[in-house]
Amino acid sequence: MAKRSVPNIMKQGRLAPWLYLLPALLVMSFFIVYPMVNTIALSFSNKNGTASAATTCVEGKPCWGIFENYHYALTAEMDTSSLPAFWSSFWRSSYGNTLKWIVLMVSGTVGLGLMFAVLADRVKYEALAKSIIFMPMAVSFVGAGIIWKFVYDYGTQQVQIGLLNSIITSFGGKPIAFLTVPQLNTVALIVVGVWIWTGFCMTILSAALKAVPDEVIEAARVDGAKEWTIFWKIMVPIIMPTITVVITTMVINVLKLFDIVYVMTGGNFGTDVIANRMYTEMYINFNVGRGTAVAVVLVIAIIPFIYFNIRRFLAQEEMR
Amino acid sequence: MKKVFWQIFAMFVVTAMLLTACGGTATEAPAASTDAMCMGANPGDEISLLYQWSGQEEERLNQILQPLVEKCGIVLKPESTRDQALLDTRVQAGTPPDIAFWNITQLQQYQDKLFAMDALGASKDAYIPGAIDSGVVDGKWLGLPVKSDIKTIIWYSPANFETFGYSVPTTWDELDALVEKMVADGNVPWSMGLESGDATGWTGSDFLQDILLVQQGPEYVMNIINGTVPYNDAGVVQAYETYGKWATDPAYTVGGAQGTLSTAFLDAIYKPFSDPPEAMMVKQSGFAGGEVQKQYPDLVFGTDYDFFVVPGAKGLQGGSDWMMAFSDKPAVKALVTYLSSPEGGANWAKAGFDLSPNKGAAGNYTDPSLIKKAEAFYNTQGFTPDIGDSIPSGFGSAEWTAIVDYLNGGDLTAALDQAAAVQAEALK
Amino acid sequence: MNRDRINKILNRIPTHAIIIFMILVWVVPTFGLLITSLRPPQEINTSGWWTVLSPPRGSGEYNEYCASCHGDDGSAIPEADLTDPALIAQYPRSLQLLIALREEINGQPHMQDIPIPESQAAADIATYLRRISELDAPPRFTFSNYIDALVGYRGTSTYLKDCEAGTAPLDIHCNTSDILNPRGMGRAFVNSLLVTIPATFLPILFAAFAGYAFAWLDFKGRFLLFAILVGLQVVPLQMTLVPISRLYAQLGLNGTFLGVWLFHTGFGMPYAIYLMRNFLGSLPRDLFESAYLDGASHWTAFYRLVIPLAMPAIASLGIFQFLWVWNDLLVALVFLGGTTPVMTYQISNMVTSLGAGWQLLTASAFLSMLLPMIVFFGLQRYFVRGMLAGAVKG
Repeated sequence: MAKRSVPNIMKQGRLAPWLYLLPALLVMSFFIVYPMVNTIALSFSNKNGTASAATTCVEGKPCWGIFENYHYALTAEMDTSSLPAFWSSFWRSSYGNTLKWIVLMVSGTVGLGLMFAVLADRVKYEALAKSIIFMPMAVSFVGAGIIWKFVYDYGTQQVQIGLLNSIITSFGGKPIAFLTVPQLNTVALIVVGVWIWTGFCMTILSAALKAVPDEVIEAARVDGAKEWTIFWKIMVPIIMPTITVVITTMVINVLKLFDIVYVMTGGNFGTDVIANRMYTEMYINFNVGRGTAVAVVLVIAIIPFIYFNIRRFLAQEEMR
Repeated sequence: MKKVFWQIFAMFVVTAMLLTACGGTATEAPAASTDAMCMGANPGDEISLLYQWSGQEEERLNQILQPLVEKCGIVLKPESTRDQALLDTRVQAGTPPDIAFWNITQLQQYQDKLFAMDALGASKDAYIPGAIDSGVVDGKWLGLPVKSDIKTIIWYSPANFETFGYSVPTTWDELDALVEKMVADGNVPWSMGLESGDATGWTGSDFLQDILLVQQGPEYVMNIINGTVPYNDAGVVQAYETYGKWATDPAYTVGGAQGTLSTAFLDAIYKPFSDPPEAMMVKQSGFAGGEVQKQYPDLVFGTDYDFFVVPGAKGLQGGSDWMMAFSDKPAVKALVTYLSSPEGGANWAKAGFDLSPNKGAAGNYTDPSLIKKAEAFYNTQGFTPDIGDSIPSGFGSAEWTAIVDYLNGGDLTAALDQAAAVQAEALK
Repeated sequence: MNRDRINKILNRIPTHAIIIFMILVWVVPTFGLLITSLRPPQEINTSGWWTVLSPPRGSGEYNEYCASCHGDDGSAIPEADLTDPALIAQYPRSLQLLIALREEINGQPHMQDIPIPESQAAADIATYLRRISELDAPPRFTFSNYIDALVGYRGTSTYLKDCEAGTAPLDIHCNTSDILNPRGMGRAFVNSLLVTIPATFLPILFAAFAGYAFAWLDFKGRFLLFAILVGLQVVPLQMTLVPISRLYAQLGLNGTFLGVWLFHTGFGMPYAIYLMRNFLGSLPRDLFESAYLDGASHWTAFYRLVIPLAMPAIASLGIFQFLWVWNDLLVALVFLGGTTPVMTYQISNMVTSLGAGWQLLTASAFLSMLLPMIVFFGLQRYFVRGMLAGAVKG
């Protein structure tokens, strides 16, 4: 399969490809591969990396030996006394929250992105509309945190400087502390994530939609199909490959996402996610062993999606 | 179209180059002179500093160090950040700053890499008794306490107190009665605010420690710090319950539990002094006075805002920033010698950069609120450091989590058990 | 108009409504930031940004309680002229005002038969009186937040006022050199540019090389290597900070621009290679065949043919990398630190430090967004086209 994509007429020295690859390989092994190996090694050590993780076991408690940091990473937030207790603690843990992020944020960004792409295709101000939805991509997370402070702010006085609470109180409601009420606050943070990333999904999906041949849609219209049916039965199946790519890309993004949580709540009030927990363990609790173990768990969680992405890509390659 | 891109690109490059060309760094010309105080440092010697202060605070530090800079010609290379990760990666990478002004936890964390203060020219006798005790790790004195602040105080508005006929309480029972009276009058006694980004909860831990000082006393607090009293002990539970009663009820604190959790600690400071006042009192460290002044420049210390020591507290909670040295080069020695000298202490007090436990500072304060704070600071027995800061390995954040979880309606026993587990592990 | 057309328009209404609603939701938060950054500090904390055009605080209460005697402009009673700053200075807060209102004047209740206002209303009136007496009359909009942010002013007043009064802090010189004050956003802007431009250029160059090799050169293990390189996206950036800074310490790269450029280059690689390889792979094969038949070497084909043709991909990758590096905080924080602060560093320092108010934060945040916005709106056509090459390709 590999041979076909190269013109058979080309002549090349044996070293030529490697010369082209050299700079990329160098920087990547230095900045990505080496730290990764180092991280994996550290995840089996104690908090300063001076001795094996097995030495941190507490007597009389279950111990996983050299995997003690993984024991901590996987179980510290869980209450294993009973099954219901386990579930309720799971949904408050960084793992449960990350799962919420994946489900809500990926469906939110892809759903809204697709909807907007379809609708914007029919109006004259399409370019402007799309640019506006895309705009938050140009904002840093620090900036986004400040922007959303003036949306979510919670005032104890009559005066509300947060937009949402001002709307709520003007209808006679009680102000809501969006960032501190457990469960609600995770949703509030996810909304910020959706605000930032919808433009990304929308742009890609919109281009895929434009590639759907007009004749197919016209033919369906002539046959009397409703717009809704056309969308679900014709457009969606055609752009399905793109949708899967966008979904997997977003899942990877969400898993690595740390900034929004770090900037807006610092993982407090039950909003912690895996990536933020890794940062907390490393730089706030100074436990290198545990921090790296969380990091490795995170990497392992991402690998299936990367694998899926690459396999799809290779399959496409074969069809080329 | 291609052209447009390259034009814009070229424009960036040119602007960037122009701007850097203009922005050459100016270093102050050293006034060459050698003095015993300079400890052999040569003019032009550089010291890299890392601290968390910015703005006015930085300005005051500059004022304090000015005489040293002028005398020895030392060039300061300061960096200001609040981000712990910066210091930590620097230290881990083996490129720490020469001097860091940071929290007490770091003395323990970096104990192998720090230089002992006595070897750098500081003398313990220069400090008020007890002030440097917590800076001694495994028998080595590793840090100079600078910029101390007292935490066991309550800020209030004398004008408001007068209007409603309240008087400053002198015992805990009086405080309790006052709080009930305020509630009966329809006034909200407390303004609390725990929100502080990734450090959310610290104001709660200060309040709790003060309650512990009232209910149990300083020895008990020190025992929590050294691990003989576990953090889920009955005394701690009692303190949490006392605190929780006030911190979760909208009659006692602005906005009830949600108000306490979601209000930024700075906003909480303003509430007793806003117009109309939202609350009567706020328990906050000495720095709160400066914040009130900044927010309401027309208010006057003593008549519009003032503080009293938490009544009934059998000790005082205080905190310092600590100066630690990752280098023993002459310029560092000169800095350490200067700051621990009577002159350094006096200059610290004159600059008004909070309090200094250096004996030389006494009597040199000029700001009325600092004079009053200094009085409480020097006269109180039973000085205790912040519990969360004194126990390493993330106990501080575990303590904050316990407070936040409890106020958020979580189970108190579970919250304290978790913190106690971290405490036990940290002190193992 | 025939019925069909009317129906067509009616059918369109929901579409427009949804689009416009979404646009509003997306724009309003950012718009709020812009408005807030233009308001004087004392207003930001006391009223929402959307009230910026409504009547000043307390004017309604004034009309309700005071205007009947003191007149609409406050000067109706000459012996109690409410526009006189000296008089108003005696009643700074609701407390003093309420005491005065409860007192009798000439044996009559001050308020006569009007009820005495509640404390909140009294406070609002006090604020309003300070405004009409010009004791404290903040403007609706001000640019001083931006000036203060640019020069790194952190005092209690404003840069312009302090400079006029000669009370500026030590690090402010009140001349044009302030624009490069290391505490200011002006200097940070320059640093951000110095970081971003090479850190955008280098990965594109390297990825173009690698993408070419993967797309048009033949060698053993081509797909496996490609899969591995792209798969390295899994590595989270946070866990590489300590090992890399250790290496940098040995190489003397900590705190240097070169170190940051290389780091961003390394981390930008997986996505950049993926995108470049896809785009280059989609170029028509005939093109290369004829080039080789004409006797071009790989190298000439690369820079004469590939680079010009790949401009859309390069531009889009460029914008993407630009946004990424420009908005990065963590790498700049750890490897550059406070000696050469970039914009995100300055902002995050303000967020957490005591006392730097919202006016500085909002102004700084908006300043930091300006350039990415310009770059994005200016070059978005390329961006979209190139990004598609990476993601949507059959």
